[in-house]
Amino acid sequence: MSDTTPPLVVSNIHKRFGDNEVLRGLSLTASKGDVITLIGSSGSGKSTFLRCMNLLERPDKGSIQVHGEEIRFKESRRGRELADLRQVERVRARLSMVFQNFNLWSHMTLLQNVIEAPVHVLKVPKAEARERGMALLERVGLAERAQYYPSQLSGGQQQRGAIARALAMEPEVMLFDEPTSALDPELVGDVLKVMRELADEGRTMIVVTHEMSFARDVSDQVVFLHQGLIEEAGVPAQVLEQPTSPRLRQFLAPKH
Amino acid sequence: MDGLLSQLGDYLNGNQVFTVSTLAMYWQGLVNTVQLVFIALIIGLLLSLPFAVMRSSKKAWLKWPVWAFTYLFRATPLLIQLYIAYYGFAFIHPAEGSLLSTFSNNALYPALLAFTLNTAAYTTEIFHGAIKATSRGELEAARAYGMSRSLMMRRIILPSAFRRALPTYGNEVIFMLHASAIASTVTIMDLTGAAYYVYSRFYTPFPAFIFVALLYMVLSFGIQGLFKMLERKLLVHQRPRS
Ligand SMILES: Nc1ncnc2c1ncn2[C@@H]1O[C@H](COP(=O)(O)OP(=O)(O)OP(=O)(O)O)[C@@H](O)[C@H]1O
Ligand SMILES: [Mg+2]
Repeated sequence: MSDTTPPLVVSNIHKRFGDNEVLRGLSLTASKGDVITLIGSSGSGKSTFLRCMNLLERPDKGSIQVHGEEIRFKESRRGRELADLRQVERVRARLSMVFQNFNLWSHMTLLQNVIEAPVHVLKVPKAEARERGMALLERVGLAERAQYYPSQLSGGQQQRGAIARALAMEPEVMLFDEPTSALDPELVGDVLKVMRELADEGRTMIVVTHEMSFARDVSDQVVFLHQGLIEEAGVPAQVLEQPTSPRLRQFLAPKH
Repeated sequence: MDGLLSQLGDYLNGNQVFTVSTLAMYWQGLVNTVQLVFIALIIGLLLSLPFAVMRSSKKAWLKWPVWAFTYLFRATPLLIQLYIAYYGFAFIHPAEGSLLSTFSNNALYPALLAFTLNTAAYTTEIFHGAIKATSRGELEAARAYGMSRSLMMRRIILPSAFRRALPTYGNEVIFMLHASAIASTVTIMDLTGAAYYVYSRFYTPFPAFIFVALLYMVLSFGIQGLFKMLERKLLVHQRPRS
């Protein structure tokens, strides 16, 4: 693949849960180094869209390409299914996800969390993974917490640890689903700071967030979802400062 | 200390119940009980791991046979299971000298069979419950990081389920120790069998049974201590950092 192949291209994604059509044809291209923020009101389908990208949800229609490799589906009696689980596992390992509730593995120390997937999925030698894991914990400010278990850490520390876990995969694209929403206000800043640094060093990131300042200052592209469709998208200066859609204007209006 | 020992010696010399020969019986009973319970627990534990994984599977043909097995053994008294195994073995009448006859001549084997299957059934359910209680978010993270189902089972589900199950499994071990007392009803000279023999020989229920109760207590405390130690080692992740 040439260097200009976008790390992630999704097109025309549809998803329904029973009668509820949640995604109604969404497309998005993340070029190398892009930071794309997804905004929208609750229930607009942001999480579902993000989870379709790494196939935690299986889209009913549409295609997904990770660095040029197309995810294969097959038709069966029960509908559309993943054709090749190995392929999906391989692709997931290249797209790290950071969750709202951190989802660190509770029976492992922070360092063990960070090296788990590199060692067992990517088959990185353990010593090498530990060394890199410690460096990553250092960089998110948690080196002296390496031997702590998740329950012994604050929410902000857990989330920074989860970001270190994501970085340890050397991912092509990082997916964030409201990484600061479960945090006490005074802990949000530390996590956002780490994310800004990642953006600055040219990582490709797709971020679902309610932090408008992050969307404004950091992202290259802001995408506003409404009822499973992209209502408006573009550079933050335009989407956030001069919104054309009345719904987006309403969404951005200061709440009382 | 010396005074106490010599007093004890005087007491033992003066009484007819706790003689060298009855103490030897208690000792043999202790050995038999520990052997029976220990072997049943080990094999039961080894069986219960794959059973629990099967029981947690989405595939009906893996799930239901295990469900039926655990249901059967948990819905009937252990004593009845023991009788069925014991009289069942006796019913077979294998040829003299054959391997099977050594099994059917010794009540230890049917007892072992009943106890093993019984504890396997309970332990399967304990592990199954612990597997079901795995955090959905942690499973999702495992999937999102490219783990296959078997890797997830090996690295995330079983290690955390095993830790969660530890205290409940400790109770099951003590339960088996106490339940093993019924082995004496099929002629096995376990601890209870020894106590019963001493009682019927000398007509002294209190010394005979209180002494055996103390022995069971010592064993129970030992098991509890062992599990406390295991929990201290394996459940650090649930404790606050000092
Ligand atoms: N597993 C599921 N089963 C059924 N319905 C679901 C499922 N997941 C999501 N939905 C529905 O899909 C819709 C979109 O949900 P989604 O979580 O994507 O919204 P969101 O934009 O992330 O909202 P929020 O800001 O509250 O996180 C909602 O109506 C939700 O109820
Ligand atoms: Mg959401």
